Amino acid sequence: MAEGAGQPADKKSQPTGFIRNPQDFWGGVALVAFAVFTLWASGDLPGMRGFAFGPGTAPRLFSWLLVATGAAVAINGLIVAGPPLEKWGIRAPVLFIASVVFFGATVRPLGLIISAFFTLMIASTATREVRWIEAAIWSAALTAFCVGLFVYGLNLPLQLWPR
Amino acid sequence: MMELLNNLWFGISVAATPQNLLLCLVGALVGTLIGVLPGIGPVATIAMLLPITYGLPPVGALIMLAGIYYGAMYGGSTTAILVNIPGESASVVTTLDGFQMALQGRAGPALAIAAIGSFFAGCVATVIIAAAAAPLTSIALLFGPAEYFSLMVLGLIFAVVLAKGSVLKAICMILFGLVLSMVGSDLETGAGRMNFNIPELADGIGFVVIAMGVFGFAEVLRNLEVEHNRSIVQEKITGLMPTRADLEAAAPAVGRGTILGSILGILPGGGSVIAAFAAYTLEKKISKYPQRFGRGAIEGVAGPETANNAASQTSFIPLLTLGIPPNAVMALMVGAMTIHGIVPGPQVMTKQPELFWGMIASMWFGNLMLLVINLPLVGLWVRLLRVPYRMLYPMILIFCCIGVYSINNAPADVYMTAAFALVGYWLVKHDFEPAPMLLGFVLGPLMEENLRRAMLIARGDWTVFLTRPISGALIALSTILLVIAVLPMIRKRRDEVFVE
Repeated sequence: MAEGAGQPADKKSQPTGFIRNPQDFWGGVALVAFAVFTLWASGDLPGMRGFAFGPGTAPRLFSWLLVATGAAVAINGLIVAGPPLEKWGIRAPVLFIASVVFFGATVRPLGLIISAFFTLMIASTATREVRWIEAAIWSAALTAFCVGLFVYGLNLPLQLWPR
Repeated sequence: MMELLNNLWFGISVAATPQNLLLCLVGALVGTLIGVLPGIGPVATIAMLLPITYGLPPVGALIMLAGIYYGAMYGGSTTAILVNIPGESASVVTTLDGFQMALQGRAGPALAIAAIGSFFAGCVATVIIAAAAAPLTSIALLFGPAEYFSLMVLGLIFAVVLAKGSVLKAICMILFGLVLSMVGSDLETGAGRMNFNIPELADGIGFVVIAMGVFGFAEVLRNLEVEHNRSIVQEKITGLMPTRADLEAAAPAVGRGTILGSILGILPGGGSVIAAFAAYTLEKKISKYPQRFGRGAIEGVAGPETANNAASQTSFIPLLTLGIPPNAVMALMVGAMTIHGIVPGPQVMTKQPELFWGMIASMWFGNLMLLVINLPLVGLWVRLLRVPYRMLYPMILIFCCIGVYSINNAPADVYMTAAFALVGYWLVKHDFEPAPMLLGFVLGPLMEENLRRAMLIARGDWTVFLTRPISGALIALSTILLVIAVLPMIRKRRDEVFVE
């Protein structure tokens, strides 16, 4: 199964060495690792009893299939050349995820208004072209819009201010 | 025939109540609004706007979501024509000729023909759905667990074959989704599975959590990395109406696109994307002057635009009749239905006819509204395109956060969404398509249930899937499809279609 051939690799950046398609190889390896983890996690569940499936049968069945296909992708990554690993951004993922986590942590204790405003401020710094004043105004406007839409318009049960 | 008309009339009477008409209008408008914004496809749009339907009655909520869906599809083609950025993957082909027409100062006719073609396709597809629903539902009622299981296998295989990229990796993604769907209590025994005694995992991973994490947030993370240079057509759009010659050239393409799109939409997997590609290829093949394509041929806009709209609507058929979502958007609709306590499947039509026929009839209203709203509002949409991305993504973020949080008022759901954003980002970096994963995740519990029941009825005999005639045929078809898809020769052709 020469799947990686679908995307012709850039000649210049084509990796040499043992692993010819690092994207596929590490992708496959990670999925196998994940499947091994779920096999372990579902290991204590009862399996087949006679003809009847136990709660553990299907999770283990799907996990084993994932081990097999993940391994196939990884092996394929050894054989067929492909693009190199893409670099992970640092600024955008870290700040963006931080803002989401901040929202989860503060929406209850601090209420929607404070939580949403600072969530938006943290998120606004995730891009390189950050403009502080614009971000602050926009965050305030969006917060007001969300309060109007979700709390007053749609009656979602959200706390507005710290309790 | 009479029954069909009666049913449609009943549906129209449900959809035409002022409240439902308003919801349909709001859905179509908001869907277009978000769809126009570059970098947000229909899946992200629906995921993001899901929370605004929580408080609505089920019929209204689904009408609005359907409106958002085809609004987003339509908005996607507007950006494709005006800015050369496909708002969603189905309008990639529209950029080829649509943007060229815009450069020649004919953006107006291009937009108009896309709208008219879509409206025509929408009308036909609505009737097809209404006509196909009853017979398909009666077939569905004959299905036992073995047949259901085989049908889902076929659906997933279709999804793999019609998706772009590696077949093997798509299968991997389906299995990844299936494994994730196993988290939570077992339906039959109530035993907690893979939940590590974390109470938030006891009910399993929320569907919206995965959809928003992988499609909403991960898309933002990816978009934050690419530079945004947009060359908006600066000329004022004048002369919206296509000329007589335009209409004459486009009409046959619209007809062909409708037929092709309707058929491809019913097939699980590709839906509107493959329909648009196929329609473009067809138009180019049968055209007397194929060299005009890519230089602003109106057929190159009319065909794909019509086909993708027809397909996006007929893809409701498997969902409404069999309860099986054929693509990621429909998987989201399943999620939305479950939030409102509706189990999609053949019983919807018999038990909740007002929901079923109301939704179908609303599609026609929705398409009419799109035709009426969109053309006069083009100027507004163009102005929206100038909104920089640094202002857009915080909006997506806060909508998704509030949406995820307010399903269960659980901060844990927000944290999990953040985790799945990273998973989605990782998938993109390793060139894995997330759509099959979502499909696997939605179908997982259904597949397990039917597999279990089938095995129990057959007393543990695995051959039951092959020996029962309908099930055997479905499995045979899946096998043939899979074999064809991995044959090197066909695969090359398939890649060409997607590259074009």
